[in-house]
Amino acid sequence: MDRITVRVRAVQALSIGALLLAWEGVARAGWVDPLFVPAPSAVARALARIGATVFAGLGDTLLKTAIAYVLAVVIGVGGGILLGSVRALRQATNPFVIALYGMPKILVLPWIVLFLGFGAAPAIVYATIHGVFPILVLVTGAVRDVDRNLVTVARAFGARRWQLYWKVVLPAIVPTVLAGMRLGIVFCLLGVLVVEMFAGVRGMGYVLSSLANGFQAPELFAATAVVSAASIVIVLSLDSLNDRLSQWRGESR
Amino acid sequence: MSELILVEGVSKRYVTSSGPVDALRDVSLSVGAGEFCTLLGPSGCGKSTLLGMLGGLVAADTGRVVIDGRPVEGPDPRRVATVFQDPGLFPWRTTLANVEFGLELQGVPAARRRRVATDLLGPLGLREFAAKYPRELSGGMRQRVAIGRALAIDAPIVLMDEPFGALDEQTRVLMGEWLLDIWRRTRKTVVFVTHSLHEALALSTRVAVMTARPGRVKSVLELPMPYPRAMESAELVALRAKLWADIRDESLRAIQER
Amino acid sequence: MTRQILLIRLAILVALLGAWEIVGRTANPLLYVPPSAAVPALARLLALDSYPDLAQHLLLTLREILVAYALAIVAGLGCGFALGFNRLVGRAYGPILAALYAVPAVVWYPSLMLFFGLDAASKIAFGFLLGFFPITLAVLAGIRQVSPQLLVVARAFGADGLTAFRKVTLPAMLFTLVGGLRTGLALTVVGVIVGEVLGSRSGMGSLINHAYGLFRTADYIALVAVTLLLVVGSDAIASLVEHRAQRWTE
Repeated sequence: MDRITVRVRAVQALSIGALLLAWEGVARAGWVDPLFVPAPSAVARALARIGATVFAGLGDTLLKTAIAYVLAVVIGVGGGILLGSVRALRQATNPFVIALYGMPKILVLPWIVLFLGFGAAPAIVYATIHGVFPILVLVTGAVRDVDRNLVTVARAFGARRWQLYWKVVLPAIVPTVLAGMRLGIVFCLLGVLVVEMFAGVRGMGYVLSSLANGFQAPELFAATAVVSAASIVIVLSLDSLNDRLSQWRGESR
Repeated sequence: MSELILVEGVSKRYVTSSGPVDALRDVSLSVGAGEFCTLLGPSGCGKSTLLGMLGGLVAADTGRVVIDGRPVEGPDPRRVATVFQDPGLFPWRTTLANVEFGLELQGVPAARRRRVATDLLGPLGLREFAAKYPRELSGGMRQRVAIGRALAIDAPIVLMDEPFGALDEQTRVLMGEWLLDIWRRTRKTVVFVTHSLHEALALSTRVAVMTARPGRVKSVLELPMPYPRAMESAELVALRAKLWADIRDESLRAIQER
Repeated sequence: MTRQILLIRLAILVALLGAWEIVGRTANPLLYVPPSAAVPALARLLALDSYPDLAQHLLLTLREILVAYALAIVAGLGCGFALGFNRLVGRAYGPILAALYAVPAVVWYPSLMLFFGLDAASKIAFGFLLGFFPITLAVLAGIRQVSPQLLVVARAFGADGLTAFRKVTLPAMLFTLVGGLRTGLALTVVGVIVGEVLGSRSGMGSLINHAYGLFRTADYIALVAVTLLLVVGSDAIASLVEHRAQRWTE
């Protein structure tokens, strides 16, 4: 590790360590109400106590997220390729897509729950809607912006329509698809959690909101930490996958 | 002698936002097998359009384009290969994979593709760069890969649209020498577009001078001199003066048009 | 060609509204409220008939948004510049910030509700949290894309640190910054609304919840329409400011 990285790591480690120590100290000295701000040690103990519930809830949430994610990626990439290729379609639907993208989706959530009830269905549907839009918009742009030169070259070498898509368009949009997928997973997870909190559906969202309602601060902090860590791990994995698949692009990200 | 490439009375008009533009008007040209024919002319004279017609990417409004006795109706990689000014390498493919591209499109099995491409890397001077990506190559190297890609499909005709246009002077000269070597070894028919007098004189067996827009063939010069060309010889100096005289007015007109 | 596109758009809009109307008339009236029933509901809402204290709730939501946004701007700009100008600080805390951004913000909401309660404070806190990140990231991105060449030129002409910042860095990054501010506003608005819908006693979100809970679907649609107006309105204002800023940088 070079000198800068060492100093960076030192600052990060010291900051986090100092924060935890200060937090622990402040909590023990009684300067904050333990009902609202529990000490880190209390949080750790709470995690041990409710570990099973937390991980069960997490599993539930992640399963729904995975299903919604697959749907969002398929619809987003497929739709994006379609809209990116057919100019008339893209221009005609553009205002609708932008309007839907910009609208806070939570406004339709009550109606979705009314329609689909209290199961996994509303969570999956809502999360899919949430995750589709960034992917759709990104992929549409990427297909539209494929380097014209490359298409001309392929045509000059006798490429047929399907070959143009398979050998030029698809490889060209891979970086954008990956960027969209990275956004999409966070959006899908968020969608599932929101539905779980709103409708009291089984899962991490419900765990978090019921812990909050029960004023169980240490447990709540513990659960929040677990789901945050899970999310960070997932996103970092996608990032490293992105890096692995984008070697030909060099340092850019 | 039946010519390999025949262009007769070809015209092309484009409709732009500022009105119709005649890119080519009544162009006629012929190129024999094994020739190195250069299209020389000022910018905007339609030489790229003409090349596009030979490559089947642009359709002529009038006249006909015939290659090897057959009219051109679309890209025909079995007969014509093209090299563009922008090398147009696929950034996600290695050098080897880029060279293989044309063969891949034609369904050539992987083992044979690999062999053909690898064999080409030697003469291309790219043997150590087989696994590199385009972003790791210099401009000259990328253009060599593009030329390799065109050679790999072994079409008898190779079209080149100002392939060295983006390179610096010294690299251009060296690439020209290298290209000559390849041409003489592979015995292809080359149609080469440039606006450089030096390249026209150093490389070609025939030079067609084009007028400014709307493009027509103004004059055709045969250059039977041996290679490598002695650029300082009296013969070539005189030819250079003649070419410059031909092209000078056209260049002036092209500048004034803008 | 453009006329054709406009016609297609109009056709899509008409088709959607038509389908909504048809389905609304034939299906379960609790679920499907056709436009013909939704419009009178909207009229009733605006006449303060169905919800007499609509104005109060609307104002509360607006207030929450404004406070949250103001806080997000201050914190966002502060953190952004702190991380952007100090190399070590930026490289140390930047990745931590990016990691936190990878967590769906709603994860923090129950903790915020525990700490701040059910009232406006938790919505403000949540809106702040959502708006803070894009602003900080925009400041960082803006600083990063200022060509160092420009600063070299400024220094050559004798500009000191503060002057260089005012006359070179700031104008050069203004466009990115304003874009981030606009995104921040949009997210703050979403955050406040989400916070209200997920649990509050007042504000537009709570009214929506209320209507939904009582199966007053027509009123629910009307409330959503009014809230959307709020969202679109705030973004329109932000867009105007963005255009004004664009004019300055040109």
